[in-house]
Amino acid sequence: MTALGELALWIALPISVWGLTLAFIGGKTDRGDLVLSAERSVYVVFFLLILTSLGIINAFLTDSFQYWYVASYSSRELETYYKFSGLWAGQRGSLVFWALLLALFSSVAVFQNRRKNREFMPYVTGVLLTILAFFFVVLLFAEVNPFERLPFVPADGQGLNPQLQNYWMTMHPPTLYLGFTAFAIPFAFAMSALITGRLDTRWIVLTRRWILVSWFFLTNGIVFGMRWAYEELGWGGYWFWDPVENASLLPWLTATAFLHSIMIQENRGMLKVWNMSLVILTFLLTVFATFLTRSGLIESVHSFAENTTIAFIFLAFMGGVLGVGILLIVWRLPHLRSENHIQSFLSREASFLLNNLILLGAAFAVLWGTLFPLITEGFTGEQISVGPPFFNAVNLPIGLVLLALVGIGPVIAWRKASRRNLTRNFALPIALGLGVLVGFLIAGVREGMALVTFAVSAFVTTIIVVEFWKGTRARARIEGEGYLKAITHLVSRNRRRWGGYIVHVGVVVVFTAFAGAAFDVEVRQTMDPGESVSITSPYGHTYDLTYQGLSTSRSQHMWQWVALMTVQRNGESAGALTTEKRHYLVNQQQATEVGIRSTPLEDLYVILAGLEDMQGAADNDPDSQRATFRFLVNPLVGWIWYGGLIISIGTLIALWPGRPATRSVTRDAAVAAGSGSPAGGPTPRPTQAEVG
Amino acid sequence: MKKNSRFYIGLVGVALVVTYLIWTGVSDAMVYYLTPQELLARVSTDPSLHEVGLKVSGRVVPGSYQPAREDEPHRFVVSDLENSEVTFPVVYEDLLPDTFTDEVEVVLEGRYGPDGVFEAVTVLTKCGSRYEATPEELST
Amino acid sequence: MGVFIGGILVVVGVVAFVLHPIVAQRSAPLGRLEDEPTEAQARKRIALMALRDVEYEFATGKLDEADYGSLKSELAAEALEAIRVEESERREASTSAGAEDRHPGAVELLELEEEIEAYRAGLRQAIACERCGGLNEMGSRFCANCGTKLLAAAGQGSEGAGEQ
Repeated sequence: MTALGELALWIALPISVWGLTLAFIGGKTDRGDLVLSAERSVYVVFFLLILTSLGIINAFLTDSFQYWYVASYSSRELETYYKFSGLWAGQRGSLVFWALLLALFSSVAVFQNRRKNREFMPYVTGVLLTILAFFFVVLLFAEVNPFERLPFVPADGQGLNPQLQNYWMTMHPPTLYLGFTAFAIPFAFAMSALITGRLDTRWIVLTRRWILVSWFFLTNGIVFGMRWAYEELGWGGYWFWDPVENASLLPWLTATAFLHSIMIQENRGMLKVWNMSLVILTFLLTVFATFLTRSGLIESVHSFAENTTIAFIFLAFMGGVLGVGILLIVWRLPHLRSENHIQSFLSREASFLLNNLILLGAAFAVLWGTLFPLITEGFTGEQISVGPPFFNAVNLPIGLVLLALVGIGPVIAWRKASRRNLTRNFALPIALGLGVLVGFLIAGVREGMALVTFAVSAFVTTIIVVEFWKGTRARARIEGEGYLKAITHLVSRNRRRWGGYIVHVGVVVVFTAFAGAAFDVEVRQTMDPGESVSITSPYGHTYDLTYQGLSTSRSQHMWQWVALMTVQRNGESAGALTTEKRHYLVNQQQATEVGIRSTPLEDLYVILAGLEDMQGAADNDPDSQRATFRFLVNPLVGWIWYGGLIISIGTLIALWPGRPATRSVTRDAAVAAGSGSPAGGPTPRPTQAEVG
Repeated sequence: MKKNSRFYIGLVGVALVVTYLIWTGVSDAMVYYLTPQELLARVSTDPSLHEVGLKVSGRVVPGSYQPAREDEPHRFVVSDLENSEVTFPVVYEDLLPDTFTDEVEVVLEGRYGPDGVFEAVTVLTKCGSRYEATPEELST
Repeated sequence: MGVFIGGILVVVGVVAFVLHPIVAQRSAPLGRLEDEPTEAQARKRIALMALRDVEYEFATGKLDEADYGSLKSELAAEALEAIRVEESERREASTSAGAEDRHPGAVELLELEEEIEAYRAGLRQAIACERCGGLNEMGSRFCANCGTKLLAAAGQGSEGAGEQ
């Protein structure tokens, strides 16, 4: 099985090269048979990658330690569940996994369009197979072949790093990779639009849903990563501005910009060059993110390997994509002219454009900070890096302006809005925002950035709530529906708009959670069993934690030292927490498991920082239970996960398919069906069947 | 064209603000990345290095680690990766990562005091060794 | 041995599947198919959507009378132009009347037109507030937007229209 997987990887390269060659030739010469053969190559490559992946998983399940990759990431004792995730645990497997997901999405795109949008498909197929071929070259020739054999067969593997043995960590990379690879489809369609010269909004309409799918997974991938860092890394934080984290944030920022700017092109026929550039840039950044995590180019908490061959291949590929992209845009420049221009600063176009510029500014700042060591090394010969203070200083103001725009954008009309209108629409939200600001000031809060964030959040939330209210009321009045029915129909008839607003609510919730970090409380205490510590939460109540003692155990896989804490909130019992140190036998590594007590408003977070005498504790010596703990009260942390969930729901609403797009009716029938309803209107007829 | 010129002004405005933020942010948060050897060689001629943030990677000298006690920080000695003769002592208040051992490769961030002791603010263990082992390591 | 045979089977199967279209002269379609929306149809759709949004924004009180008027005439002109182009294109393309609306977007376009109609019908039933321009149900006494007393409401029938 494993050998078959290896063989599949070797034949996937020639097949993809064959397919991409035929796709381009077939497209150029209008040879339908060549194009069909190329499209079949996509399916075949997907099939081969399934075999390859099964081969790797099989090697993990059968403990085939003669393979370097298996020996490095698995061990006999590893739970089966984590053996499956071995496919993406390390660099080599995750490159296969990346290609597998890309091949999956490519096959779906080719299959969906097997009888429609045919003018795009030869080049879409060609571009996708080119990307796949690139990954096969990397896998086979950049010293990262997952099937590389060791000269001997080790008795056991190294085991998976304990910090990677976490539910969120098994979810995080695949989700992120789904986001990265899904974006290749819009990129391929954009390239195809440039090559064929069909440069109206068609390619956008066709890929809009793919863009949302990609954005959905990117967002979730980032949130899962934060969750993992929060639960597993044990420093109490969720974002470290680590190069690898930044790498996943970059395509998210540009994809978000792209999601908004395509709306300007659809509505106003503007920004065509801009959108083409953004789609290329975002695709490049997804490749860059993969490259950064997988090359060790920059010092990072989790960039694993250092390998210069792979760096050169990646850089060459990215340079090639960039060069070809720019050439194509320049070549098609005469067809990419704007049909309109912006009429006023006070228009939705202008606010979207500003949002784009700021998102790109943020992306540039993050990229700059991430690459700063390389830049300074190039110019001055010494590496100078910038840490979290830099990223916070730059991104906080940028984030706040963006947050305000989230509220402003949707209320301003397309084309031009008059000042009268603005005062009318903004009076209440601004008043409420200021009210929140004053309220917190009176309550004694003096954290400037947090205050501003809360005020802006209130402003945005008011705007969105008023939007929903007005829309529902108008619909209830016009269609004569009850409010519940009206709001359902309102959302279902324009999913993109209302789904987007729900996403915005989620964004506000997440930003509020970020601001909550300004009020974190931390206490460090060395304690003997029976001793207590008291912590005052920023909300005013007090936690008393009593260290009950340590229990030590040895299982097949590890030693565990589990400290038990009982919690009292304002003197009343509020359960218990455990936090533990582990020592994994297979790789002699230590790990800390934190104890978290989550409530909607705050988390109590306890870390077993250190044991005075681990050996003594292991021998169950009652006098060696002295331990150092770190206690954190993190207000509003949970709102990140809730906000993430709201964002996901909003995105799903926006991309949920309407009724089948191919249903065709004659005009008479449709009018007859429709004319019965304007007044009573009980038939739910979702429009917005976005062809996709 | 005239109408669009206002938007180019807006564009330039946003670009300027972002540049300003980056500029001030960088100058506040710059951290020099040095090897222990470079650090010790340069600090003797350039005392201003005591003032700036530093990021130094090296290896913990086996046997030098003294865990933190009551009100006492962690103490250990770090040597240059290539020249193990070059060493300096490190103090660190906070929690050490779980992967910290007595011989691990570390990346320290902090300041190098005039007294010749490195006050670390963060200690990271280097991940090349943390996530992936070389076949040579496996064979042992 | 099993792996060896499996490998050969995979290679042969895969190559046969990929080469089959060329050997057997099977073609994938390449041109634009008839039932895909044309550029003109896409334009018409966008113009109608914009018009619907303007109606919606006026109905919800986000646009005042003056802005609504100017935007509406601007958009309506664009929509008419798009519709004209689209219809002339369609006349050239086909002579059979039955097939004319068989493209996937047709239903959506009709629904958009209906929606616009519904908003306009709703507007005719509403009273504009003199102070803020917000629209209110027939029979309302106070503006739901700003709270001003609605003078027009006094004279008109206070039931019926509100229920429609």
